[in-house]
Amino acid sequence: MPPKKVPQKTGKLDPVWAKPEDLKKPETVGERTQQRINLSTPYHGKDLNDLTADELKIYSHTNLIKPISEGKISLSVKAEREFWKVVNKEKLPIRHVRDNYDWGKDKNGKDIASYTIEELNQRKVKQARYRALSLFSRQFVHLRDQAKRQGAELAETQIEDERKRRREMAALKKDLYGELTAKLVQDPVYDDIIPIPMEEPENALARIAYPDFYAEAISYLRAVMVAEEYTPRCLRITEHVISMNPAHYTVWLYRFKIIQVLDLPIPDEIEWLNEVALNNLKNYQIWHHRQLLLDYYYPKIADDEDAVKKLAKSEIDFVNQILAEDTKNYHVWSYRQDIVAKLGIWTVAELGSTQNMIEDDVRNNSAWSHRFYLVFSDPSQSTKDASPTEHDPKVPESIIERELKYTRDKILLSPQNQSSWNYLRGVLRKAGRGMSTEEGFASQFAECLGEEGEKVTSSHALEMLADASVETGDAEKATLCFTRLAKTWDPIREGYWQYRISQLKEQ
Amino acid sequence: MAAAISQTGAAQTSAYDIPELFRMRPVVVDALETDSSAMQQDTIEECLPFLLGEEDLGPRNNHGIPLLDKQRHLNFLRKQLGPLPGAFMAADPSRPWFFYWCLAAMTLLGEDVAFYRNKLVETVRPMQNATGGFAGGQGQMSHLATTYATILSLALVGGEAAYDVVDRKSMWHWLGSLKQPDGGFQMAIGGEEDVRGAYCASVIISLLNIPLDLPAESPARAAGHSGFFSGLGDWIGQCQTYEGGISAKPSVEAHGAYAFCALGCLSIIDSPHRSIPRHLDLPRLISWLSSRQYAPEGGFSGRTNKLVDGCYSHWVGGCWPLIEASISGPQEGFAAEAVTPATEAGSLFSRNGLIRYILCCCQDLSKRGGMRDKPSKNSDAYHSCYVLSGLSSAQHKWTMKSARLDATVLGSDEWVVTPYLEGQQIFSEDDRLATTHPVYVIPQHKADGIRDYFANKAGF
Repeated sequence: MPPKKVPQKTGKLDPVWAKPEDLKKPETVGERTQQRINLSTPYHGKDLNDLTADELKIYSHTNLIKPISEGKISLSVKAEREFWKVVNKEKLPIRHVRDNYDWGKDKNGKDIASYTIEELNQRKVKQARYRALSLFSRQFVHLRDQAKRQGAELAETQIEDERKRRREMAALKKDLYGELTAKLVQDPVYDDIIPIPMEEPENALARIAYPDFYAEAISYLRAVMVAEEYTPRCLRITEHVISMNPAHYTVWLYRFKIIQVLDLPIPDEIEWLNEVALNNLKNYQIWHHRQLLLDYYYPKIADDEDAVKKLAKSEIDFVNQILAEDTKNYHVWSYRQDIVAKLGIWTVAELGSTQNMIEDDVRNNSAWSHRFYLVFSDPSQSTKDASPTEHDPKVPESIIERELKYTRDKILLSPQNQSSWNYLRGVLRKAGRGMSTEEGFASQFAECLGEEGEKVTSSHALEMLADASVETGDAEKATLCFTRLAKTWDPIREGYWQYRISQLKEQ
Repeated sequence: MAAAISQTGAAQTSAYDIPELFRMRPVVVDALETDSSAMQQDTIEECLPFLLGEEDLGPRNNHGIPLLDKQRHLNFLRKQLGPLPGAFMAADPSRPWFFYWCLAAMTLLGEDVAFYRNKLVETVRPMQNATGGFAGGQGQMSHLATTYATILSLALVGGEAAYDVVDRKSMWHWLGSLKQPDGGFQMAIGGEEDVRGAYCASVIISLLNIPLDLPAESPARAAGHSGFFSGLGDWIGQCQTYEGGISAKPSVEAHGAYAFCALGCLSIIDSPHRSIPRHLDLPRLISWLSSRQYAPEGGFSGRTNKLVDGCYSHWVGGCWPLIEASISGPQEGFAAEAVTPATEAGSLFSRNGLIRYILCCCQDLSKRGGMRDKPSKNSDAYHSCYVLSGLSSAQHKWTMKSARLDATVLGSDEWVVTPYLEGQQIFSEDDRLATTHPVYVIPQHKADGIRDYFANKAGF
């Protein structure tokens, strides 16, 4: 406890409340409030025994102001007149400031009481600015409705002013209260859309607490889709939704419809899409959208050879850019096959570009798959719609030899790489050749089978040797290969190898 | 005897009886390192401590297998069905998948999900469009994947109140508009056409007993198709690749998830022993499927030179009953008591390898619970569903007892399930899951429940 405060200046009133101008200039809002509280409740909270007679008089008179003015204490006319005379004379505070006044916190959780007076003033100016802008904004809506009733529309400058106004309001709201204004309500272009909010039972399964921004966007999207509106503003809504949730398949299909209805330039759309794709590598709606765009755009330029070539180049360039980030992206490779067929990219450059990816990682099976497609579906050297698992007599012998050599080279580089072995089998099938034609090549990876010093550097080679033996009717050798695979070289597939042995017995 | 083997694994001697195959790094490895091989190497190193019993996964049996923590996983699944935070925003267009994944996984764990019937009915009702089909959410477009997930969820909770939510007549029209001149199905009007579409559509048609005749307005009629399944098997046949596996659509890379969809679809349009060999090169397919299983991990990968992932326990693992049925045909004399393997060798894949991978590597045994892709990944509803489906499939044997007379009798093959009891059982009997139908991926009686209900309905 601090030592008792002895009244210093007897007869004189305590400056704590006496004259505001005598007080120390408050630095913070909280200090000022405390001063005001003190001024309005003189000597409040002090030990009454410490007060002088004058001070006690002031204390009791102040405390009586409220009950007397409200008639809760009835005095004689004379006593009341005497009372107010003192109040007047001593300039006692008529209004009381609540001593628990709370200024609240700002958006950062900072107590506003800790603001300087200047900071508070600035805040008040902003609040006033916001109120004024709201009035103008309401006026805008009023004027626009009025114009609409008269079959007129407001000038674009007025709309632009309102757009700016709402942006400023949103900024102020964020600055003052940290509240985010959903995006679409900031643009008067959307004012006439009545959003259809999601209405779900409270206990719906897997109910998601959508962020306000998203909930707003989706409710606008529903509204324009129900109205079957296909306008530029709808395109912007789709862009907004996609930026938050690119997995929303409906918004993509709707966006494509808008593009068709408005006949928008496809190159612009593709340029926009590139950015979205780079930011969302795993998303596949993007690639379906791209395919729809290509299907729609291609007939328009099909007669212009240069335009087709230019498009093919820019598409492949972009696809390569994505594949550099994500070398086995299924949807991107799938799209690549689509454009090869559509834009006729059966070129040496395309084969080379795929080959580069195999050189980078000889185990990239997606790249091998693409190569197979490029080589064996090229309409100039293959039968249309031939099955990948069937012999195609139209494929030139030189191509077969080239592919066999390429694959063997890759196998030598990495014998236990299943991608290249599968490719080898695929080529043999296309060529109508048996596995036994590669027996010589394969046997270098499986030496001394079943004997002392057995050495297998590729279980896939051993599997091919087994299949070759099945083909040539050498059940004994086949059984040996399968058994060695089952026991030592690929035992996780033992059940399968045993099944192959059992099949030999059936034959 | 097997215990003696573990003593020989010099560096990794442990108290558990773990076959060398699941303790040692592969015997054949190339010197050349590339991104793919480095990732494969990392995955092996990531999984080994879990497989060897070095990671603390609670008590393990003498085979080194931890228990399946059903309660923990059930808690996770219940939470995934409860209110979800804003971070799940991206799931807005795929919520029906959450219903299916969670309800199917809970059912496999032995939970009766009929409790969710009313909630599910009220949740999916606004997702159905008047023009047919169910969307991912209110105000979205109908989609085959979300419709498939919704129908299976309704079948799982069961009961007329659930079945009656479906407007079959508009569904028939909508499915008709998805059927394409080339025989396949688009996922949504204007959406992509792939093998998922073929599978989802055939499951929906089969479970709801939708008339097989295409509606007059179907775009496929222009190409001469008159029925939903007309040209569908041929279209799927075009999706087989040079590797033997199945791709999303013709000429793309073979991928495990599409293999299951293709086999499931073919097993609906006719009995598997007829339709699968008719449309696919079965020996190449079996070889490709078999090479999806890796050691020491024990799990399946989805593509050549890609990594194991728990979800392929179903996508690849779930292919085996259909493959076996297509090899063996109907087993008329099959009696549940006399368990005879479909082939002399027993199983075409290593059931114990898969069970090891699932119980050691795919369980999230932290407070979170749920099943996952691999130890470094977070659990989620998707993996919980498909890892557990794969586990159930590995623990049971499905046999096609009798087949329909011909393709015109929709889906009336008779399947029988028995616990798989061949060889050594490495998991605790308490951890044997409920069964799930090899084609519909819900329990057989649930599939029968919805099919019988609609089969007995005259007209729509």
